[in-house]
Amino acid sequence: MNAMRIDRRSFLVSTAVVSGGMALGITSAEGAPTVPWGPDMASGAEFSAWIEIAPDDTVTVRVPTPECGNGAMSQAAMNVAEELQCDWSKVQVAFASIRRDFDEKGSYQTGFLSFFSGHSTGKQRLKTTLQLGASARERLKAAAAARWQVPASEITAANSVLSHASGKKLRYGQVAAEAAKIVLPKEPALKPQGEWTLLGKKSPPKLNIPEIASGKAVYGLDVKLPGMVHAALMQCPVHGGKLKSHDASAVMKMPGVRAVVVIDPAKTPGSPVKAQSTFGFGDSLCQWGIAVIADHYWQAKKALAALPVEWDMGGGAKWQDAEAIYSAAKALRDKGPGRDLKKTGDIATATGKRIVDGDYGTPYAENAALEPLNTTALVTADSAEVWTNTQDMAQAFWVAVDETGLAPGKVNMHQTFMGGAFGRRGQGDDLRMAVAVAKAYPGKPVKVIWSREECFRQGRYRTPVFTKMHAVLDDTTGLPQAMTADIGYVGSRPGFHLPLGFSDQPYFNSGVIPNLHLTSSALPVNVLSGAFRAPCFNSHAFVLETFVDECAVAAGIDSLEYRLKLLASWDKSWSDCLKLAAEKSGWGQKLPKGEGIGIAISCWPVANVRKNGTVVAAAVRVAITPEGVLMVKQIDTAFDCGRVANPDAVRAQIEGATLFGLNVALNEELTVKDGAIVEGNFDEYPISHMADVPPINVHFGALSGHERLEIIGEAPVGPVQPALGNAIYSAIGKRLRRTPIRKADLSWS
Amino acid sequence: MSKITLRVNGKAQSVDADGDTPLLWVLRDHLGMTGTKYGCGVAQCGACTVHLNGEAVRSCQVPLDGLAGANITTIEGLAAKGGAKLQALWHELNVPQCGYCQAGMLMAAADLLKKKPKPSDADIDEAMTNICRCGTYPRVKAAIKRAAGVAA
Ligand code: FES
Ligand code: FES
Repeated sequence: MNAMRIDRRSFLVSTAVVSGGMALGITSAEGAPTVPWGPDMASGAEFSAWIEIAPDDTVTVRVPTPECGNGAMSQAAMNVAEELQCDWSKVQVAFASIRRDFDEKGSYQTGFLSFFSGHSTGKQRLKTTLQLGASARERLKAAAAARWQVPASEITAANSVLSHASGKKLRYGQVAAEAAKIVLPKEPALKPQGEWTLLGKKSPPKLNIPEIASGKAVYGLDVKLPGMVHAALMQCPVHGGKLKSHDASAVMKMPGVRAVVVIDPAKTPGSPVKAQSTFGFGDSLCQWGIAVIADHYWQAKKALAALPVEWDMGGGAKWQDAEAIYSAAKALRDKGPGRDLKKTGDIATATGKRIVDGDYGTPYAENAALEPLNTTALVTADSAEVWTNTQDMAQAFWVAVDETGLAPGKVNMHQTFMGGAFGRRGQGDDLRMAVAVAKAYPGKPVKVIWSREECFRQGRYRTPVFTKMHAVLDDTTGLPQAMTADIGYVGSRPGFHLPLGFSDQPYFNSGVIPNLHLTSSALPVNVLSGAFRAPCFNSHAFVLETFVDECAVAAGIDSLEYRLKLLASWDKSWSDCLKLAAEKSGWGQKLPKGEGIGIAISCWPVANVRKNGTVVAAAVRVAITPEGVLMVKQIDTAFDCGRVANPDAVRAQIEGATLFGLNVALNEELTVKDGAIVEGNFDEYPISHMADVPPINVHFGALSGHERLEIIGEAPVGPVQPALGNAIYSAIGKRLRRTPIRKADLSWS
Repeated sequence: MSKITLRVNGKAQSVDADGDTPLLWVLRDHLGMTGTKYGCGVAQCGACTVHLNGEAVRSCQVPLDGLAGANITTIEGLAAKGGAKLQALWHELNVPQCGYCQAGMLMAAADLLKKKPKPSDADIDEAMTNICRCGTYPRVKAAIKRAAGVAA
């Protein structure tokens, strides 16, 4: 029990017509389901596409948002269980089927990015899952009422048992089959939040942990199919380049080798119907590549390494190093005002005498999820079946349709666990390359594995951001009278030039700075960029909160006080977060030279609306030896996401995201040589180990109690970075305007 | 090609593969035991950690041709080798996020506790050099300490 159901069964498809209510995910199909949808079917009764209850009371909740480590699936199940009032130990989760969603025209769709949706506590998704639970509960009551010939209103439901005052009892599983057929005249009202007994009150661990801890969880890399072969893939080292020549005969006689296949982007046939992909295909386009297919992966990998290949590197090779790219981005920025992000008042009217200037930069970084990219695909002339660890099955499904050219009804998808993602598994370029390889070797399941080196060199990297800031401080208050910012983004994909974490923050929306001009420009380059744990937000947070610190120093005001003044007219929770994190960090204590505390605050996803997003304040305490050895001694975070549904899951996300941000600031930088990414593995791209990790204290005391239950996985990645830089300034007086910090000289005397 | 017989989780297994095939891929591709993970292939991440003749090793660095007669324990066999308590604590303390590193973490932790039943913080820091991109280190440490019965 308490299990994550794994999709092992081969996937049968039917065009069974379903009743109208199913599209809402509320009522069930007429009669017992005859179609095993993706996940293994139990013998249970299906209450909707989302919920099935078996005779032994097992409740299976099928969730369209796949688990990536944040507990999204367990959270959706908690929502259902809250209203279903079932025994939590009988709940399991399974991956929802995108094919079912397609065939049934939206069984799983609710709200924003409707299939994927992202967030199990998002307003619409929360409401839907609660309603599904409530509806199933009332249908169970109605079934028991019919058996006992008593009014349903006299029946109570708790802990998977239905009870009547007469002493009669039935387990959910005993009436599930009848209940699943019942259509309620009216959907039941939801409990008020105040009456929740599970959400916000309990912190069950993720349902899939026993599988993980015993090695049984099936990640994409673990898919096993009869007759499966393995492929090692290499794409042109300079993104956008082409394959010039290769000599397959040099490796065809190596052990196990079956084929060498060339991937040519011109061979993407395109979707035969209008695709409903979540993000479009622009960030998943096929790249030129070559793959060796062999019986086993090791054989494929060795043969690929031995394969003579010549590339035409293309125009991207002109970038001799990353600094050349960054200089070009800065030069573009310096050519005068670019795209206006925000303009208020008139910056020329500022008269203050204290001027603050800073130029900040954050370089390329790689998501580096620990499971290397991979997908298994079986393509024939008229069908395709794909096993993948995508973050968004709706995107993945349509990429597979686009790359095979098959009608969507001919394509089946299976979700697996994923070993982290952080934005890298959202667009489907990994899956597209795998399908392209499998297409060239039809009739056999091909597991395509990107080596770690291939993952590093064929990333969809963090957008480098180079921002010039300028402020004029009021002579009396020390607060900015005017501020200008000019952001230089690098990368040609506009989807990843997001001003979130910057122009949406309250400093620029509360009216506290009367004169503003924020602009941005973008330098197109060959190096591909993508989503990196809150796209651009994590860079912007570093820039903005370092600059605010510099303004505070110039104004001669304590940097906590300064932020509190700037945020005085905004939601009180911002000030509460700052004060709590500061207090817990020991803010205001006299520290010896070489030690310091820095603070910063930011909000994701959208901060220009009050009572929105997750606000996180981080206070970082450091000690630095005169030789420049940095030790992060302690991190205190305080946050406001409204309310929390699973306190320990929230704590775990804040811990992990804070460490992620800390590593980004300290260590992460990819470099470029002649248009290609240099770093290929963790020996060249350090990730913190246990020994590097400071105590992280997560404080719940600044939660506002507002009714939203906002997402928590991204926001903590931002503020810890400037807080670290600000702590270093406080300790030794060196201002860091560029990450990673490990490359800075921190010695002092 | 070499034909090698070794014991995995107490069971004799005969493997016919290229002699330089790393134990990692022997386990995963030849024996179908996918609990042991590939993360880097260059001894950096520890996701591939198994016990070889009772010692934690990074299986991506151990070629098949040296393994005749070797005794290997993988995550699939850890519970039977006294690891059940650790695995239960991993659940209770909600340690894993994505979980991909955790087989390696558990194998490294079991090895540490065998050598040092009451490890200090410094012992844990020294022994646990596995990479977790999700940042579960504080919980891994807490679970090890709980298993050892030392103060958090
Ligand atoms: S795969 Fe062996 S240490 Fe990373
Ligand atoms: S839990 Fe994801 S890498 Fe450790």
